[in-house]
Amino acid sequence: MTDSHVVFAIVLAVALGYFSYNVQRLIGYLRIGRLDDSRWGNIPARLWNLIRIGIFQEKIFRDSVAGPMHAAIFWGFCVLGAGTLEAILEGVIPGFSYRDLLIDPAYRFYALNQDLWGALVLAAVGFALFRRLTKRVKRLMGAETHPNDPLLILSWIGALMVTMFLAGAFLYVGYADEPLVRPLTYAVSRAFTWVNPSTARLLAEDFWWAHVLLVLGFLNYLPFSKHLHVVASLPNVFLSNTSGPGQVGVMQPMDLEGDAEVFGAKDVDQLSWKSLMDGFACTECGRCTSVCPANLTGKPLSPRKIMINVRERLEQKAPFLTGDTTYQKGDRDAVMAKSLLDDFITEEELWSCTTCRACVQECPVSLDQLSVILELRRNLVLGESRFPEEVMPAFESMEQRGSPWAFDPGDRGKWADGMNIPTMAEMAERGERPEVLYWVGCAGSFDDRAKKTTVAFAKILQAAEVKFAILGQEEKCNGDPARRMGNEYLYQMLAKDNVETLNKYGVRTVVTACPHCFHQLGNEYPQFGGDYEVVHHSTYIASLLAAGRIPIVEALHAPVRTFTYHDSCYLGRYNGVYEAPRDVIKRALPIVNLVEMERSKDKGLCCGAGGGRMWMEEKTGKRINAERADEAIATGADAIAVACPFCMTMLNDSVTSRDSHVAVYDIAEVVADRLA
Amino acid sequence: MKIAVCIKRVPDMDVRFKIAPSGLTVDESGLKFDMSDFDGYAVEVAVQITEKLGAGEVTVISLGADNVQETLRKALSIGAHKAVQLKHDAPVSDGYAIATALAAELQGGGYDLVMFGRMAVDTQNRSTGVLTAELLGMPVISAISKLDVENGMVKARRELEGAFELVETSLPAVVTIDEGIARPRYPSLKGIMAAKKKPLEVKPAQLGEQRYVLEKLELPAERAAGRIIGEGKDAVPELVRLLKEEAKVL
Ligand code: SF4
Ligand code: SF4
Repeated sequence: MTDSHVVFAIVLAVALGYFSYNVQRLIGYLRIGRLDDSRWGNIPARLWNLIRIGIFQEKIFRDSVAGPMHAAIFWGFCVLGAGTLEAILEGVIPGFSYRDLLIDPAYRFYALNQDLWGALVLAAVGFALFRRLTKRVKRLMGAETHPNDPLLILSWIGALMVTMFLAGAFLYVGYADEPLVRPLTYAVSRAFTWVNPSTARLLAEDFWWAHVLLVLGFLNYLPFSKHLHVVASLPNVFLSNTSGPGQVGVMQPMDLEGDAEVFGAKDVDQLSWKSLMDGFACTECGRCTSVCPANLTGKPLSPRKIMINVRERLEQKAPFLTGDTTYQKGDRDAVMAKSLLDDFITEEELWSCTTCRACVQECPVSLDQLSVILELRRNLVLGESRFPEEVMPAFESMEQRGSPWAFDPGDRGKWADGMNIPTMAEMAERGERPEVLYWVGCAGSFDDRAKKTTVAFAKILQAAEVKFAILGQEEKCNGDPARRMGNEYLYQMLAKDNVETLNKYGVRTVVTACPHCFHQLGNEYPQFGGDYEVVHHSTYIASLLAAGRIPIVEALHAPVRTFTYHDSCYLGRYNGVYEAPRDVIKRALPIVNLVEMERSKDKGLCCGAGGGRMWMEEKTGKRINAERADEAIATGADAIAVACPFCMTMLNDSVTSRDSHVAVYDIAEVVADRLA
Repeated sequence: MKIAVCIKRVPDMDVRFKIAPSGLTVDESGLKFDMSDFDGYAVEVAVQITEKLGAGEVTVISLGADNVQETLRKALSIGAHKAVQLKHDAPVSDGYAIATALAAELQGGGYDLVMFGRMAVDTQNRSTGVLTAELLGMPVISAISKLDVENGMVKARRELEGAFELVETSLPAVVTIDEGIARPRYPSLKGIMAAKKKPLEVKPAQLGEQRYVLEKLELPAERAAGRIIGEGKDAVPELVRLLKEEAKVL
């Protein structure tokens, strides 16, 4: 063992020690968060997420420029990791080399890959730097970001590659018998043939030192950088629930009986530890913010900022809670008096969110920005009664009349007058049971435009001879607006009432034309003992059409119509139903031309109504529904099809205000129009 | 500062009522009940006064069967401190009888200020507040839209037709609250939880003599459907004839 090996062993021990100290420190920070044991179940599904989202970079590739670039760096890191390990082992074990471990073709393969991936990473890093420095990529900018950090990191990676190549090149110059397994490195070495071999051998060693020191330095810089994602993102993808296992987009119930001091979250220590970890895994890539309908239309919300704020506040507060004196900055009382809510994230940001889930869908490392927003909203409403004042009547009406609009509950079934549709109560009295329960929902029951959809769908059911019933007066708001606005108390009241009603009649299958009702009854009511098979009307109509159960007139001589379909967030991103509504339009209109908007399916833009926004004023920036209507009109379609009463209201309002001749239809109306 | 607010439980008014078989009350099935709107403003104002002073106590009082406890809890959840139910199971319609029971409870309670809504939104009698003041021998300012309590004085503003008047009196006093003064806050879950632990006392109501009784409730007659007598110019003579002879408005 030479002196240099001893020195290196010490350097290595210090570097690894410091790195593991910092990792443990940060894990300690996570411990101040709320318990969340929903992160360990269904290991196979989690591993699969890790493989497709983590290893195969599935979400990274949603961006066609940054995707390949990042994948090259990531896969390069995986491959080069083996080389780094070799370099480090060389440092501690004299004469160590994989050459002695791997039999020849394997070693050649390994060495060749080091060479090629090294070059690829260098190229990708060069491109990334070029992109950042010369092109003003909008999503990479933003007041909340740390713009110099990526430049440093990219240069650092570049230096790692350069030192690796130079160390190898001088080996070739220094040792004539070095096997020619790294062609690119060898090519580099041809530029240095003028260096005398003994100097080259020294230079090879120097560059080796430079390389390993850069590696260890990089490792220890990570915990202080946004590039902590290098370490945090893979575990994060494994522990995330945003791509399953299980139903996505489901809010967890709060215990309202317990003696909680704080409802929802006001500060980081009331968020789940997983939300805190999300803060560490955020790469500041801005993909979330670039698709956020609120942000795009000039509202003060940026989901990236939410995550960055979580990390900032965590790193500010946690040292005081964990007694980590080294990192305590500022006056204890001043720090403790602050909170994530208000001091970092404002009320206005939180109320701008439509809960469309586009941010969650887009995040390449599977963060859940939305759950933070919703926890903070819970605190605003349940803890402090703070919400936009125009929401008050909706809350009161939901509580008093079981609908966010102040209609007489007795009129809920009025749309069905004269249509000969039985209520569950009437059927039960006759000792009958329907094939399905048609859950109409508040919009479908009270909103004049939505009522037309309701009637159209009922007519389809009748034409298809489906034996169905409605609840009439016994139906109440599904509670989604309350829950998404943070009013869990009101939500649970409504949900429990509805579950009780549905269970009383032994309901098994429910069909509904409202994606919010669909999501609630199907995915969130199981939390309160409501287990039903819930089908959205798009899927239901599609299968009735496929089975030939709906008598529709042949319309081969009708003029060709061009439709564009607008995806509802709660149907699409929350429940993955993209094809059924499109299928319905195509089948119902044999002569139809279906054109897609630029943002469609899982990249669809929200109409602006979700998350209770339907009941709030939109004062800042462009209206979201206007943005969406403009996009739809720009396709040149003569009609917009929707599958949600809220999308209907939003788009209809906007199209009307634009004096456009484009019509807005629910898919049920399209089919009902064709009934024989 | 001790404030009492007398509140009433009333049905949600935005529905079509049915009369109960007894003919004396509305059919309560399917109805939702809440605090009468004006009483809600009164509770909010009272709570704001104690919040501003940083001291004082708001007691809410309601007369009725056990279901008024729900209404009392709601008042507690938005910040009242104590509640009293004056238990009486049968419906009472005479404001004087109710005022007697309230006065009996308020008398000797040491209240500086007694507040009422200016009327209950269901029966709209406007009598209980002022009658109670009379029985207590306290000055009363009714239907006020602004209230300042300072140095043992009450200063209040009353809206008149196209004008307003400013009135003041010394404490103890009774005021009845009009709208526009304050919007009751939405109860937070924190408030609802806290309300469960606040004291709610149940006492028998010492109801006074009921000097009038409700005989019968009836719904107004349904309006007859409109009639179309024709279109365009030709219909005018017939319309004029009907307006003269049938409607007798011309
Ligand atoms: S859910 Fe939608 S509106 Fe809310 S932050 Fe995410 S992208 Fe923006
Ligand atoms: S939350 Fe996800 S998508 Fe948004 S900036 Fe962070 S890593 Fe990117």
